Amino acid sequence: MQRIGIDIGGTFTDFVVHDDTDGRVRSFKRLSTPASPEIAVLEGLTTIPVVDSRVVVHGSTVATNALLERKGSATALVTTRGFRDMLLIGRQTREQLYNLVPEPIIPLIPPERCFEVTERVDYQGTVVTPLDLTEVDHIIQSLQDQHVESVAISFLFSFLFPDHERVVAGRLRDVGFFVTASHELIPEFREYERTSTTTINSYVSPVLDRYLAQVQQTMQPAEFHILQSNGGRLSVEQARGQGVRSILSGPAGGVVGARYIAKLAGYENLMTFDMGGTSTDVSLVTDHLHVTNEATVGGLPIRVPVLDIHTVGSGGGSIAYRDTGGGLRVGPQSAGADPGPVCYGRGGQQPTVTDANVLLGRLPHDGFLNGTMPLDYTQAVEHLNLLANNLSVCASTTLDRPQAVAFGIVQVVNAHMERAMRVISVERGYDSRDCTLVSFGGAGGLHACDVARQLCIPRVVISPKAATLSALGMLSADAHIDYVQTLMIEGDVSFEELEKHAHPLVAQGVHDLRRQGLDADSIEVVREVDMRYRGQSFELSVSLTPDFRAQFDAFHERRYGLCHHDAQVEIVNIRVRAIGAVAPPVLPVHHAAHSDVKEAIWCRRPVVLQGQIEEVMHYHGSRLQTGHRVEGPAIIVQEDTTLYVGATDLAVVDQYRNFVIEVGV
Amino acid sequence: MDDPIRIEIMKHLFVSVAEEMGVRLQRSAYSPNIKERRDFSCAVFDASGQLVAQAAHIPVHLGAMPLSVQACVQALTFAPGDVAMVNDPYQGGTHLPDITMVSPFYAPRESNGRLMGFVANRAHHADVGGMSAGSMPLSEEIFQEGMIIPPIKLVCSGEIHQDVWNLFLANVRTPRERAGDLHAQLAANRIGIERMQGFMQRYGSVQISRDMDAMIDYGERMTRQLIAELPDGLYRFEDRLDDDGITTEPVTIAVSVAIAGDEVTIDFTGTDSQRTGSINAVYPITLSAVVYVFRCLLGLDIPANSGCMKPIHLIAPEGTVVNARFPAAVAGGNVETSQRIVDVVLGALAQACHERIPAASQGTMNNVAIGGWDRGRQQPFTYYETIGGGMGARPTGNGASAIHSHMTNTLNTPVEALEYAYPFRVRQYTVREGSGGQGSFAGGDGICRSYEFLQQAHVTILSERRSYSPYGLAGGQPGHSGRNQLQRSGELQELPGKCRIDVQSGDILRIETPGGGGYGSQSENY
Repeated sequence: MQRIGIDIGGTFTDFVVHDDTDGRVRSFKRLSTPASPEIAVLEGLTTIPVVDSRVVVHGSTVATNALLERKGSATALVTTRGFRDMLLIGRQTREQLYNLVPEPIIPLIPPERCFEVTERVDYQGTVVTPLDLTEVDHIIQSLQDQHVESVAISFLFSFLFPDHERVVAGRLRDVGFFVTASHELIPEFREYERTSTTTINSYVSPVLDRYLAQVQQTMQPAEFHILQSNGGRLSVEQARGQGVRSILSGPAGGVVGARYIAKLAGYENLMTFDMGGTSTDVSLVTDHLHVTNEATVGGLPIRVPVLDIHTVGSGGGSIAYRDTGGGLRVGPQSAGADPGPVCYGRGGQQPTVTDANVLLGRLPHDGFLNGTMPLDYTQAVEHLNLLANNLSVCASTTLDRPQAVAFGIVQVVNAHMERAMRVISVERGYDSRDCTLVSFGGAGGLHACDVARQLCIPRVVISPKAATLSALGMLSADAHIDYVQTLMIEGDVSFEELEKHAHPLVAQGVHDLRRQGLDADSIEVVREVDMRYRGQSFELSVSLTPDFRAQFDAFHERRYGLCHHDAQVEIVNIRVRAIGAVAPPVLPVHHAAHSDVKEAIWCRRPVVLQGQIEEVMHYHGSRLQTGHRVEGPAIIVQEDTTLYVGATDLAVVDQYRNFVIEVGV
Repeated sequence: MDDPIRIEIMKHLFVSVAEEMGVRLQRSAYSPNIKERRDFSCAVFDASGQLVAQAAHIPVHLGAMPLSVQACVQALTFAPGDVAMVNDPYQGGTHLPDITMVSPFYAPRESNGRLMGFVANRAHHADVGGMSAGSMPLSEEIFQEGMIIPPIKLVCSGEIHQDVWNLFLANVRTPRERAGDLHAQLAANRIGIERMQGFMQRYGSVQISRDMDAMIDYGERMTRQLIAELPDGLYRFEDRLDDDGITTEPVTIAVSVAIAGDEVTIDFTGTDSQRTGSINAVYPITLSAVVYVFRCLLGLDIPANSGCMKPIHLIAPEGTVVNARFPAAVAGGNVETSQRIVDVVLGALAQACHERIPAASQGTMNNVAIGGWDRGRQQPFTYYETIGGGMGARPTGNGASAIHSHMTNTLNTPVEALEYAYPFRVRQYTVREGSGGQGSFAGGDGICRSYEFLQQAHVTILSERRSYSPYGLAGGQPGHSGRNQLQRSGELQELPGKCRIDVQSGDILRIETPGGGGYGSQSENY
C-alpha cells in the first residue's frame, strides 16, 4: 500500500510518500498554484509511481483561502425573527481599542441575504412562537432570485429544540440549496459564535467539496482523507459539507507531524515552534493534542474544536525599525517573499530578522538553499548601519554598532517568541521546564536554542524533515471526530446521568468511525464535560469520570490560581471525541556512523554569539550522521534551514537523523 | 537616552504581566461586566504609583488607575502580602461599582527588600448596594449609589480581613457573586506579583527599577513627539449633555485645547457647574477621557503609561461636571459624561488635524439595569448592560455600525446566556438602519434592542444623545439621536433618556441607540 500526505501551503505544495513494501519515505515539493490549487497537486501526483492501492491524506488551504479572501459561495442566512443582523453586530466590540478610524468589517453575508423567520424557542426548549412556514416560501423565491448557492440556518436555542431548524433545512434542501443548520454542526449555546461557525461552513463547504471532487476523480485513490483543524483525519465522504472543520488544517499537520517525530525520538511533552517568514505558530502537546473551542479566523469566531495554536506576527522576514520614542521595533510588518529581506537583493530596503542573522554570521551568506541563492552580505550591513545611525545604540568593546543593532533585533524577536510560548504554557499552568521544543519552519533553527534557554526548556529537537513535517503529519494523524451537545444543567447531577447524556454522542462517534472502515478495537472514545462555577461564563473541559467535580476544582486552581470547593457548578456541554488509531508510517532507523564528525565540517568563521565574536565551526547538516556530536557554538547548514547551536549547547544526531540539542544555561 | 533594545524587550514583559492578570480575572469572575463584557483593567505601577504598563482593556480606566494607586499609597502603609481596596470616587475612584485592588511587590530580601512597585486591577461589580439594583441609579448624592470604600486594606500580610469582607458583602444584593469576583481580583494580583518577582530574579531589582523608569520616559517621548507634530494654536469646542435626569436642562461642556510645541493644555473652563443628577464626572474620569484621545492619536501598539500624561496639562475647574465635588452623585459621569468629554476634545482637535479626526460617535453607552426578585428561580437578580451604536464617519470612509466607541468596548451578553439566567427575553437585536448621519461618508448606524419582561422588574436607564445628536464634521449631517420606548398593552410610550420605571410581565422596552455623525457635505466629491 502506498500512502501519500499532501499539504498545500502558500508557496509550496508538499508531498510525503510512504510505501509499505519497502518502508521508504520520500518527500518533495512543487510550487503551489494558488489560483487552482489542484494543478500543483495533480502534477505532483503524476511523478509518483502508481500502485494498486493508494491512501491519500490531504491538508488544504482551500477552505481557509475561500474565507480569508472572501471567495466562498454565495451564501444566505436565516435567523429567528429579530436577529437578522447577528453577524454584523457580533459582540458589538471593536477590534482595536485605540483606533479612532477603524475600517468597518465586511460580514460574509450582505444584508440583502439575511432573512428572518417568525419562530421562537425559550431557554427550556419550549416553543414560545410557532414556526411560520409560509414565510419560508417567500425566502426561497428571494434566494433563487439572488442566485444563492448555500444557506446557513441558526435559530435561538435550536440546540434544545432543533425541530424548527430541521423543517426549514428540509424545505431548502428539497429545492437544491446546500444547507448547514446550526444544531447539526454545533448544538452549543451562544448564538453569535454558533451562527458565525454555521455561516462559515455554508460559505466554504461548496468550494471545498468541488475541489475535493475534482482531485478524487482524477486520482481515484482507494481511500481519501482530509486533515481537520483538530489534528485528526476524516474521510472525504464524511468531511463533505463540513468545510469549517478543516479550516486550519495546514498548521494542524505541522503539530501532528512534530508530535510524531518527537514521539519516535522519545519525547512526549512538547512545545512546537514553527517560525516562518511572516509569522510564528506555537502550541503545546502533552499526553494529548490540546484543542480550543474559541478559535477565530480572520476575526470571525469558529466554535468547532481546533488545535490550540498561538500565532504571533513575527518571523524571519519581520522588518526592524525605530519608533518615534526611539525604541527598536521588529514587525509585525514583514518583507514577505517579495521583495524579501535586504540580503535577497530583490530591492528590499528595510532590514529584517534574516538580515540581522546574516550580519551576525549565524546565517552564512553562501549557504542558503544549499548555496544556490547567495545572500547579499554587504547590502544587509549597509541597511543595518543606517538603522544603527537612527537608533541610539552604542558600540560595545566587542561589537560595532551594526552588530549591536543586529544582535538587538534577534533579542527582540526572541522576546516575542518567549512571550508567545509563555501564553500557551506557563500562563495555562504548564511548566516549560518539562517540555521539549520541537522546531520546524524555515527560520526556527536560528532561534530555537536561544528561545529554549530563555524559557528554561532543556532540549530542542529539529527534524531533518522539518520542511515537509506538515505533510508527514497528514500520514501520522489518527482518525478523529468531535461531537458536542449543550446540556446547561446543575452540577449535582450524577456521573451515571451524565454518561446517559454522553451515550448518543458516543454511539454516533463509533458509528461514524466504523463507516470509515476502522475496526472497533482501534476506536477510543474520549468523553468530556464543559463545566463552570454557577455564575461564571467560561467553561473548562474535564474528563467525564466519577470524580469530575474534584477534577474541575483542581483544573480551575491550576489555570486561574483559585477554586471554590463549596460553590455550585453547572454542566454546560458534553463533548465526545471519537479517535480511531491509524498506524503511522514507520520511519527508517539509521545506524551509528563510522565516519568522524570532522568530515562534516564546512568551514570556520567569525560569528556573533551572546555579545562577543568567536570563530565558530560550520557543518554540512547532510553529512552529519547518527551518533555524531556537535558541541556549540556551531552553525549547521541544511538545505532548507540553518541551525544556530549556542556556546553551551550540545547537538547529537539521533537514529532518525533528528538533531537533539541539549540546551545549556 | 535609554537602551532602545531593552525598552522593546521589557515593554513586552510588563504588558504580558498585565495581560495575564486580565485573563485570570476575566475567566474566573462572576459579574457579567467582568466575565462577558471585559469591564476591567490590569496594570503595573512603580513604587511612586506611576503607571508603567497597562493591558489594552478599558479606556475609562486609563488615567484613573494611577490616581487610585496613588490614593492608596498616600493613605496606607504597605507591607508584603497586603492588598488594598478602594472605590471612592473622591479618593482616586471613578464610580462605586468599579472596585480597585492594589498589591505592592518588593525586591528579594537579599537585595534589600525595598518596595519596588504595585500591581493593580479594577473591575466593575454588578452590584455594590445603594438605591437601585445594579448600582447605576438616578441618584442625587453619592450615598445613594452604594457602599463607599475609601482606601483600606482587604488583606494584611496574606490574611483576608474577615470583618471588612463581611461588612462589604452585607451591603450588596448578590453577596455570593461578589465574593467570587473579589477572589478573582485577588488571584489576578497574586499572579501579577509572582511574575514581577520572577523578573526581578532574572534581571535584578535594580535593573527592573531602571526599566520601569525607562518605560515611563519612553511613553513621554512618544507623546511629546506626537504633540509637536500637531499645529500650534488654540482650538475651542463645546457640546451638550441632554440633561442630568433630574431636570431637563442641558449641560454644557466647553473645552479649549492649546497646543504649544510638544505640550498641550486642555482647559474645561466654561463648563457648567455640577448637577444634582448623577452625570457628574470626577477628575480621574476627565483625565482618562483626555488621555484616551491622545493615546488614540499616538497610533497602535504603544504602551499606555504615566509618561504619556506628562506633556498633557489638564485644567478642570472644581465644582463643575468635569471635576465634581463631594458628595455629588457620579454613577453616570463615568459612562456618559466621559463620552461627551471625548466628543468635545475631538471636536477641538478636528480644527487642528481634520484629516485624522472622525465625526462624533454615538456618545453614550445606553446603560440599562434590570433588577428585582426572580420568582421562577427564587432569588434576587440584577442585570446591567450597555448597548453599542454608530461610530462617526471617517475623513476617508463610512463609520462602523452597531459597535461600542471611545470610552468603552464591552461585549454584549449572548441572548442565550442572558435568558438562561434572567426573567426577560430579548425580542429584537438589529441594526437601526438609516440612523447614521449623511455626508460624503455616512456615520455608522445604531442598534435596536427590545426586551420583553416575563415578570415584574425595576428598570433604570441612563442614556444620552436623546435630544442633542452626535455632530457631523466638514459639512456632514449629525447622526440620529436615540430613543427609549415602553410598549404596554399595545400602547407605545416615549421614555426620557434617564429614568427608572417599574415594568410588568408582557411589557416591552425598546431602545434605539444613536447613529454616528456624517463627514463632508453630500454634494462635495472627495
